[in-house]
Amino acid sequence: MNLIRSIKKDFNTMTLVLIPVAIAINVVIGEFVVLLKLPVYLDSIGTVLVGVLCGPWAGALTGTLSNTIWGLLIDPNALPWFPVALFIGFVAGWCARFGLFKTWWKVIISGILIALTSAIVETPISVLLYGGITSSGSSFITAFLLQTGHSLLSSVLSTNFLVEPVDKVATSLLAFAIIQGLSVRYVARFPRSENVMVEKKAAQNTQLIIAIAIAAVLIIIAATVLVSLLAS
Amino acid sequence: MSNKLSFYIDRPSPLQRLNPLTKMAVAFAFIIIAFSAHWYWAPLIIFFVGIIPIAVVGKLGREFFSTSVHLFLPLFAFLFVMQSLFHPGGTTVLFRLWFLTVKLEGVQFAFLTATRILVMVSSFLLVLLSTHPSTLMSDLTQRGFPAMLSYIVTSTLQIIPQMRNKAGTIIDAQHSRGMNTEGSLGQRVKALLPLVGPLVFGSLVDVEERAVALEARAFNAPRKKTSLREIPDTGWEKVVRWICLLLVVVSMGSNIWLS
Repeated sequence: MNLIRSIKKDFNTMTLVLIPVAIAINVVIGEFVVLLKLPVYLDSIGTVLVGVLCGPWAGALTGTLSNTIWGLLIDPNALPWFPVALFIGFVAGWCARFGLFKTWWKVIISGILIALTSAIVETPISVLLYGGITSSGSSFITAFLLQTGHSLLSSVLSTNFLVEPVDKVATSLLAFAIIQGLSVRYVARFPRSENVMVEKKAAQNTQLIIAIAIAAVLIIIAATVLVSLLAS
Repeated sequence: MSNKLSFYIDRPSPLQRLNPLTKMAVAFAFIIIAFSAHWYWAPLIIFFVGIIPIAVVGKLGREFFSTSVHLFLPLFAFLFVMQSLFHPGGTTVLFRLWFLTVKLEGVQFAFLTATRILVMVSSFLLVLLSTHPSTLMSDLTQRGFPAMLSYIVTSTLQIIPQMRNKAGTIIDAQHSRGMNTEGSLGQRVKALLPLVGPLVFGSLVDVEERAVALEARAFNAPRKKTSLREIPDTGWEKVVRWICLLLVVVSMGSNIWLS
């Protein structure tokens, strides 16, 4: 009951009106990126924005509807990928709730967490529906790994682990830049505005040192996992 | 950037008059059967015996064909090249080309995947071609779907064309100020921020006004809302939907039983 009440609190009128704009932002920025021929997608900035400002459930809804509408308007191929978008919004919301959207380096951590989740969710969809090869350019990496004798699952998973972080870190940083550009009065009207209120400087510095240490450890672990995945 | 709002084509036909839920049920039945059937040719049969006749009955043959070619040709070309060259395993070598070998298993796998994707995307496409998004949403709302969701979907469909126009204006304005959208990667990355900034902040400003307007019109009122349009639903369509469910269950059951 408590959970339902807290979800309901997240869906106030501001949230309901922000979600359509966020989906439109996803679509239009996605088209900008195609126009500029950038090697990323950046098609979930709006989803991350809603996740941060209105909580994980609203973020998940935005992601789901965003893919549905992408399918309605542009390419029906987008429809089966909706769980990925759902988890992007959901994880962004939880990252923000744990204070990971307050300074730029914490946002990078959120970006990596979002990337890991979406890589994991993406893999079964890609393998089961598309046989591992989709129309995106990263399929060349998958094909290369397949050719060097890796199993389909590990090839797709490692490709996603390689490709996703760049896109999702850039997405999170852009969403963060947008939120920083909004006025405090405006942000305060959203249900989770406390997620982006800035902390004191002194606390930030100690946190940064701890974070760098943790990041170093994580990179080593990730590297060994990736190496063992590729070696197996 | 295309300015067309959706795939929908306004053309009276038996398919267009069907209840949206029935069309969705048939589409999902086709997709699930195509993916779960144990028989290699099932997806292709579904496409030729199910989807193409429905497109013809719906008087959508030409649009269906042209959109499909546009959507599938690049994807399938890519899929066939990649899978036939790089599909793991397989022993039957069809032919060799320098260092590349094309294996029969790879081609077969590519064919199966391609026909499955064909069924999946073309059944969605057929629903989209014959159903206006707001018809679908009002039908779902009448069936007890939250009205909030249908507000979100329909207003998104209105906002996107507006935002695309705004995006076009911003691109033109920044071009006239000398922004470079071609050239090296660094230059193109630099061009992203002057495009995204004005677009996003401009649209977010409207959000607050719209929220106030909705609150003033009792959008949050807990009462049941009435709909301007009633979507017809006949008895035999209910039967069709049950048959779809039955076929899906049979197909999935046979898949589990045979494997």
